[in-house]
Amino acid sequence: MSNPSVEVATQPNLAPAKRGAGVTRRMLKRAWGFTEMKVAAVVFATMMFLTIFGPYIIDASATQMNVSARFLPPIFMEGGQYPHFLGTDQLGRDLLLRSLIGLRNAFAIGLVSVIGMFVLGCAIGIYAGYRGGWVDVVLMRLTDVQMSIPVIILAITILGLSRPSPLTIILVLILASWPTYARVSRSVALAEREKEYVRAARILGASDLRIMIRHIAPSILPPIAFVAVLDIARMMIFEAIFGFIGIGIQPPTPTFGTIISSGTQYLLNAWWITVAPGVLLALALGSLNLMGGVLERARNQVLQGGE
Amino acid sequence: MAFAIEFFLRRISQGLVIVLLVAFVIFTLLRIVPGDPMRIILGPMASQTTLEETAKELGLRDPMLIQFGRFVGEVATGDLGRSYIRGVQGGSTGGSQDADGFDPESRASVAGLIANALPYSLMLAGLGIAFALLVAVPIGIAAGLNAGRWPDKIGLYTSSLFVSLPNIWVGVVLIFLLSAKTGWLPAIGYRGFEYTIIPAIVLAVELSPVMIRAISVSVAQNLGETFYSVGLVRGISRRDMIGKHVLRNAAVPLMNLFGAQMIGMLLGGLFVVEYIFSYPGIGMLTINAVFQRDFPIIQAVAILASAALVIINMLVDFASTLIDRRLKF
Repeated sequence: MSNPSVEVATQPNLAPAKRGAGVTRRMLKRAWGFTEMKVAAVVFATMMFLTIFGPYIIDASATQMNVSARFLPPIFMEGGQYPHFLGTDQLGRDLLLRSLIGLRNAFAIGLVSVIGMFVLGCAIGIYAGYRGGWVDVVLMRLTDVQMSIPVIILAITILGLSRPSPLTIILVLILASWPTYARVSRSVALAEREKEYVRAARILGASDLRIMIRHIAPSILPPIAFVAVLDIARMMIFEAIFGFIGIGIQPPTPTFGTIISSGTQYLLNAWWITVAPGVLLALALGSLNLMGGVLERARNQVLQGGE
Repeated sequence: MAFAIEFFLRRISQGLVIVLLVAFVIFTLLRIVPGDPMRIILGPMASQTTLEETAKELGLRDPMLIQFGRFVGEVATGDLGRSYIRGVQGGSTGGSQDADGFDPESRASVAGLIANALPYSLMLAGLGIAFALLVAVPIGIAAGLNAGRWPDKIGLYTSSLFVSLPNIWVGVVLIFLLSAKTGWLPAIGYRGFEYTIIPAIVLAVELSPVMIRAISVSVAQNLGETFYSVGLVRGISRRDMIGKHVLRNAAVPLMNLFGAQMIGMLLGGLFVVEYIFSYPGIGMLTINAVFQRDFPIIQAVAILASAALVIINMLVDFASTLIDRRLKF
């Protein structure tokens, strides 16, 4: 607490920023109590470790073509060769490595875009809810409009007509998905605005900006944290879809979408080109989604009064 | 029914504003992205002067607001314009044969193209929803009635699993397993109803996790309400309470979900699934239009999609007030 006067004014049990943070801490603690959370976290951490260090460990190249090693099946099948654990693609490139790099790209895009939509959406939502009046009306109607354009139409239109790059992909995802965050944070701000501690802070001369950031923002995390975790996975799927359609990150950079779509041509003879990267992606997404799902349950239990 | 009239008047006027704004956003977007559609309409052989003349003739050099006004006027009279590229007979003309000018009459009308594609998309969407309900309703209800026990866990696991499978991957894997390898079902294109089945399964995998979660949460919440325990105390059997009251109440949030979330998801899913399977619906039409810079089609689809979204949300809200009288609009 850097502002002791607010502390004093709202004692004993209405300590401002602590309330939201307290619920967040309880929620995380409860979530960690689920076995599923631990399993998912371990799987996720392993995947992250592999995407970062895999290229140094595995003695193969993700982009180097090797004609003599084309269409090698995964190592557990007949004809599989070390070090190509998941086999090779039509150009003899190692599939595990390509998938790991694809995973890294997808996760980076997912994480950055979710942070972006979180910050943008919450800023707009808190401002609208705290200000109220016509600002609120205009901003909320804007979310209506935004939500009335299906994400995929917006994305295909923008990415298909401009030159897709990681930055434009992230911007499109942010543009398409911020309204959820704005809606939730607005309703939180609306509820918190009238509470005693906010009024007290205002009387004590705290600026609007300070109230919004220090006092209201922490309360937003519990209702939205699980949405953000689930959204990282959702954005990663979008990234894969864009790559598949040809409007994502462009080759030769490996992405799940381009690997899967190139594999469709060799489906009968070399099904692993398509299947193997998908399993890897599904594992990563599964762990994220399981964590998000558990987080949602933990939040519900905490809000229903469990300690 | 004064309430119904007031409800619809208010929501329709709000909806019109939203659709108009969406139209404006898409319209502007299409005109600020790089790439001149005239080059695509007329082909690479057209001279610069023909290009400019035709552009002027089509009104593509007017100020944007005037273009938008004209466009809205046309849409209001039911005219969605004509494709830049697709000929009346179907297929792309490529443009090069009429390098000395452009005759809009020779191009297919957007309304016609959409009307041709829509039934396919609706059929796919309907079958997809039906498959999804088939999986989600039993799992969701079981999970909701047994919160914290094994059916609940199964609900969590299935929805986490399904939501983690990218539709592009499920699509390709199913083509491999059910079509290429075994030959049980056809997969690419459309030549009969059986071509809808695999795409619909992919769609269902995408839709069911949201349904499972919504159903289980909604059912579990209703079991926690006082009316449930009061009903039991008053001697109504558990089966009756669940069958007649809990499930009915649980349907309200579910319908809201259908409006707000599902339709957006469904549209997105349709686009991707149609693309994977070369299925001749709205999604395929739009994706091709984007790659060919066929602006009239993109515009029309975006507007119709948002209008559909607005209308469905309106109907859903109305239906939920009918089911649950406590809700006010």
